[in-house]
Amino acid sequence: MNTTVSSAITGLCDPVDISGHRNNTAISSATETKAGAFNVWGNSFAAEYLPDGESLVDVAGVPFRFPPVCDGPDNIRCAGQFLTMPEGRFDWVHVLAAAERRCEDTVELTFADGSVDAEPLRVSDFWAAPAWFGEIKAFESPVMHYPHHVQRGVSAVMWAQRVPVTRRADLVGIRLPRNVAIHFFAVTLQRTEAGA
Amino acid sequence: MTSDVTTRTYMITGPEPELWYRDLISCLQATFASLLAREGADALAVLGAGWRFLHLPGDVRSEEFYYPCPDDESGGADLGAALAPHHELHSRWWQPADEDDLWQEVRATLADDRLVIAAVDNFHLPFRPAYGDVHAAHLVVVYGLDEARGLVYVSDAMPPEFRGAVPIEAFLRSWGSANPTDVQDAFFSDSRIGRRCLDVRLDAPAPPLTPELLGGFLRTDVHDFTTTTPARTGLAGFDEFAGELVDQCRAGDATALRELYPFGWGMQAQASLHGELLRRCGREWGDPALAGAGRAVEAVAHAWTGLRITGAHGHGDPRAVSADIAHHATVLRGKYASAVDAVSAAAARM
Repeated sequence: MNTTVSSAITGLCDPVDISGHRNNTAISSATETKAGAFNVWGNSFAAEYLPDGESLVDVAGVPFRFPPVCDGPDNIRCAGQFLTMPEGRFDWVHVLAAAERRCEDTVELTFADGSVDAEPLRVSDFWAAPAWFGEIKAFESPVMHYPHHVQRGVSAVMWAQRVPVTRRADLVGIRLPRNVAIHFFAVTLQRTEAGA
Repeated sequence: MTSDVTTRTYMITGPEPELWYRDLISCLQATFASLLAREGADALAVLGAGWRFLHLPGDVRSEEFYYPCPDDESGGADLGAALAPHHELHSRWWQPADEDDLWQEVRATLADDRLVIAAVDNFHLPFRPAYGDVHAAHLVVVYGLDEARGLVYVSDAMPPEFRGAVPIEAFLRSWGSANPTDVQDAFFSDSRIGRRCLDVRLDAPAPPLTPELLGGFLRTDVHDFTTTTPARTGLAGFDEFAGELVDQCRAGDATALRELYPFGWGMQAQASLHGELLRRCGREWGDPALAGAGRAVEAVAHAWTGLRITGAHGHGDPRAVSADIAHHATVLRGKYASAVDAVSAAAARM
């Protein structure tokens, strides 16, 4: 993506506050690897390779508010939660996400006029995997944290994925998939350009 | 033909085994693919040619490499035939016949310039993440043995990939491990390794894949999916499996949930390889319907994630996750139905 297009997107994007929904800790420090448990085996991302907690990060022009790091829950493990959105017209819902194995599901977009659209959400595996669904690799720790050690040679990947908002109506909320394999770290809305 | 460098040193000729990997497969498909690649076969075309559903009640073992495989006429399990039902791929399990000479069969196989697939316990292998920590049953490829220097040459495509020498004593501990119950891995521990090995043979070269040949495979598989049999096969077999899974969860019985992860891995891996192959062929042959059918089969693989991971997180409290298990089973059933329909339509034109 060239700089002009990238900055144009940046100006249309608003990070969403999802702090009230975080229910899982996926990032840990090398000195306390047991503090994170992204998956059932207690693996976690290595904090030293990720952005600072609460910092504003840029992934291909899309700004995300990075979650807290080593300071409590840092992601939403999806279980059908409803996230209230600031009402408005949007083209894309951008997410920082990762999955416990390659995963497809749906999110439900709820609009002010009462309509609800299910849209596909596709997230690749966090475990040393390729971007099977064409996501952007947003962040990667080249080591994997295990409860009792730091494992070299196995990376943990966080993906930048997007969900289209096809309906020309005011979005008011998003219902996450009922799927504990999918984790959201951050959400950003991209507004519809004027006249679109 | 081997290079017998010193007494009791055996190494396959040619390049080291290929590290063949996809993120949804297990060590089972990865090791078989390494052997197929060495035979000059297109591993995806062989391992991805077939797509079936089979659940064998009471058969699921807590091993990463579990795959449903009915006993053949001789009473043995032919995993090769189960993985590649449209090819002449065959395998048989064996264990050392002589407790005083454990390497006899490995030497003979390597001397024949063939690879060995060995079952191991990750706890004892220095290159596995679980080393010294977690017991878990796994498969690796053995491609060399140097008894003079005390080394076994091992290839493992599963992350973190490894190809190299392992001290013979460590390998023996891993190969002969009791793989005791480990609370850190409820799905792949508690399964005695017993120095098991797989002898794998591709008895006939895989023929070039053509639309006519693949179309025949697909029509056979669609028939199997849509035909009710006494065994739990096809869509009816899935319904039986899913119904029992949900019933057991509602009754608070964790047995089916513990089995779901290893059993589902085989079904998920098979669907992912089959879908990838169909997409590849669809692109190469200019057949968008075939490519779309492949994508529909991949959606089956992806829907297995929701079911398996929900079960993995919930096996401690089956009742609490019974509604979510039922939800994911319903979603998966729908993906199976859509994919069978798409494959059937694509196959009818081939």
